[in-house]
Amino acid sequence: MSIKIALAGNPNSGKTTLFNALTGSDQYVGNWPGVTVEKKDGRLAGHKDTVLQDLPGIYSLSPYSLEEKVSRNFLVYEKPDAILNIVDGTNIERNLYLSTQLAELGIPMVIAVNMMDIVDKAGDKIDFKKLGKALNCRAIGISAQKSRGCRDAAAEALLVAREGLKSEAPHVFSGSVEHALAHIEESIQGKVPAASIRWCAIKIFERDKEAIEKMGINPKTIEHVEGHIKDCEKELDDDAESIITSQRYEFIQKIVKDCVVKNSKRLKRMSISDKIDRIVTHKILALPIFILSLCAMWWLAVAENGPGTILTDWANDQFLGEDGWHLPFTSHKFKCPEKECENCTADERGENCTCESCRIYTGMEYEEAQEFYAPHEKNIEAWEAAYIEAYNEANKDKEGFEELAEMPEELDEALARTVKADGVRLDDDEETGEAVRGKLKDGCGPCIEVEIAEEDDEDAPELEWTCDWAMYQVSKAVPEVDPSNYGVFIPGISTLLDSMLDKAGVNETVKSLVKDGAWGGVATVLGFVPVILVVFLFLAFLEDCGYMARVAFIMDRLFRKFGLSGKSFIPMIVGKGCGVPAVMAARTIENERDHRMTVILATFIPCGAKTVVIAMFASIFFRDMWWVAALMDIIGIAIIVLGGIALKKSRAFAGEAAPFVMELPSYHLPTPNGIWRHTWTRVKGYVFKAGMIIFPACVFLWLVMHFDWSFTLLADEEIEKSILHDIGSWIAWFFAPLGFGTWQGAAASVSAEIAKEQATATLGIVAQNMQGTSTAAHIKALFGSMSDFPRLAAFSFMVFNLFIPPCMVAIAVTFREMGTKAWGWFAVAFQLFIGYTIALSAYQVGMLICSGVFTFWTILALAIDGFCLWAIFRPARKEIAK
Amino acid sequence: MPLTLLGVGVRRNIIAVKGDDAVKKHLHNLGFVEGAEIEVIADNSGDLIVGLYGSRVALNKDLAKRIIV
Repeated sequence: MSIKIALAGNPNSGKTTLFNALTGSDQYVGNWPGVTVEKKDGRLAGHKDTVLQDLPGIYSLSPYSLEEKVSRNFLVYEKPDAILNIVDGTNIERNLYLSTQLAELGIPMVIAVNMMDIVDKAGDKIDFKKLGKALNCRAIGISAQKSRGCRDAAAEALLVAREGLKSEAPHVFSGSVEHALAHIEESIQGKVPAASIRWCAIKIFERDKEAIEKMGINPKTIEHVEGHIKDCEKELDDDAESIITSQRYEFIQKIVKDCVVKNSKRLKRMSISDKIDRIVTHKILALPIFILSLCAMWWLAVAENGPGTILTDWANDQFLGEDGWHLPFTSHKFKCPEKECENCTADERGENCTCESCRIYTGMEYEEAQEFYAPHEKNIEAWEAAYIEAYNEANKDKEGFEELAEMPEELDEALARTVKADGVRLDDDEETGEAVRGKLKDGCGPCIEVEIAEEDDEDAPELEWTCDWAMYQVSKAVPEVDPSNYGVFIPGISTLLDSMLDKAGVNETVKSLVKDGAWGGVATVLGFVPVILVVFLFLAFLEDCGYMARVAFIMDRLFRKFGLSGKSFIPMIVGKGCGVPAVMAARTIENERDHRMTVILATFIPCGAKTVVIAMFASIFFRDMWWVAALMDIIGIAIIVLGGIALKKSRAFAGEAAPFVMELPSYHLPTPNGIWRHTWTRVKGYVFKAGMIIFPACVFLWLVMHFDWSFTLLADEEIEKSILHDIGSWIAWFFAPLGFGTWQGAAASVSAEIAKEQATATLGIVAQNMQGTSTAAHIKALFGSMSDFPRLAAFSFMVFNLFIPPCMVAIAVTFREMGTKAWGWFAVAFQLFIGYTIALSAYQVGMLICSGVFTFWTILALAIDGFCLWAIFRPARKEIAK
Repeated sequence: MPLTLLGVGVRRNIIAVKGDDAVKKHLHNLGFVEGAEIEVIADNSGDLIVGLYGSRVALNKDLAKRIIV
């Protein structure tokens, strides 16, 4: 039979850290009370038959919030074989309070005093022998974070579990209480399990109704002992429950006095945590500090020249795209591309090759070469454009061309000689392009005698330079810069995929399915990893440093105004990472009404996946306005506040919020390792999702986009006959008032319910036949085709997808946490209403302001807004709850 | 007097915790018991951060009023 060991202790005492250290799991840890809200089990490393059970933190065995109940029920009713009680050594009095209760359960127990590294640093001393003796069990010091003593603690717990070394409950209470307890024990003997008789007796003494009911004791027995309890209360002039708690604390103070020597110097000094608290919870500064840190995060993630954008551009173009990249920190010198070049010796590897094709670029770094080629490229582009224009002009009867490559015949030389375009001067170091001409003449490439038009003015601005036929030929003769000829070059994944598909010799359809469908969608999602990386890093810092609990505290004042506790804000911050843990984190909210409301509202904060949608729109439509991204968070908070106000005025949610009381963890500077682990866990999940969910979804979308109802393959031009087109068109009317009522907009919005980042992937797929050469250009063109106000339509699309119900997984968890199906549907309906309203208002009112467009939809938008304002500002109901 | 009037940086012993049962019990469990030494660390217009048994606990104003020192 396997042995079950439970990890029990106060919130934020490091249970999960120890759990991870002992089982090798990777459960989420954070520096605020209430990170773990569900029990998790794992096998103790090295002991196959031993299950370690991580439990949510509890302050006592009389639970106050939902997640505390999980722990209490497990410890009291499921009875593990042993308890490993984690005690925070820096806060030993409060932590031992729970230990005294656990010791009464009659389960073998070991006390592990955690955070000994901090205790040692502070100069405090703890006598574990004495501590153990006082509580009748073994006590040892550990540091879960530094993996110190963890194995010993586990071994100790295993030992007591195997041998069933039940410790005798310590005698905590004063004479008269013990007397009453003895009476109660006597009368319930045989009716409750012998091991936990003391715990039962204390619960009866405290008149804990829930616990007594579970014991199934005859009410007559209870009545019989009531007299003893009353006598005791009279003697000590307090109620029974208060007597028990006070005496427990008195007992603990005695133990602590005996076993702990506190560094006297430390007590008098104001700690750094206190100093920080005075600033970040300052009544005026608190909120601005929080908003500033949020803005800082978004700036880092999406500002035009911020690190997030630079990395995103790199990921999209170089790493995932077709551009490829050079290995950084190495030389990017030109190398001869020819494998069997006569001029190259084996050891030179072509760096100094002077063969015909190399000559120009020999000795240059990649960047120099690009600089050298840039004016040629501009001249070629300008001249070719001018030529096409002239050609189309001269051949008006034929169809016009857009690109030189499309033209069937060679250049018409007679015409070409007449074409002139605004070009760039080709002078390198010397004037008038001598250097260029010199090199070309010097046996490199075709030697052309060129007459470069003489410039009249030395200081002529670049653009006034004329590129003519001769100049064009010069530029054309210069070989293009091929990045793979420089240093160590790694091609982009798209290029690699291309060449792989070519090598495999698959047909065009399969190629399109793989490239445009599957890879296109996945690449769009992966391209935004840098942005969510920044967001997740910020979040990990926030969670680890201890600021999180303070945010809950400073938000309490604001939240209380509309009837929620500041505790509701924690799920919302957790929701920045992912909506699923956010909805679950709401369990720490004590009051069922407020718990439900928090579940409904928590997912309005844009999560990591929604961040991708924001990042995409910010990079395509709002490049010059990074604050649009921050605005999404602010709108999210505003919805929570205003939605909360409106909900609180309805009958189902009316009532005061539970009072705010929360332990604040000490600040500590997070370790880079810890932050990285948090961030990596989340990023890994995101990348994994791209493979497991986005990939098949994209393949499916590509298929329904390229087949019609009779399952015949469609060419790119025939997509209007496709299944996806039809389905999208049927529901597009729903989105028409929002500005993206085309089949593409509908398909993207609906598929985003699979996972929010699917919106970006779907847009990438459905827009691929639009004009332009990049996904960004395609999407820009797509929104241009949807509305006369593409930016407004894009904004509306973005807010719609952010603020309608979250992805399917989060919806499922919402249903579970709401308790009943009816409540689940209510949550979804509410979220859909909010998302639709915001998008509708943004688009219609936006159009009204921008260009005075006034339609039926404008009236509807204003009417719904009016209704919302009424719901927010109507007088509160008279307290029904009273 | 209620804890809200104590002022930042002052230490006192708790005399009583008033109020309704569930919350009072929770406060008791957290260590707000008669005789415990308490200090106000930060005051945000009545919402307090207090030091108790070497740790910090945040309380909103309504709750702080119930703690008599």
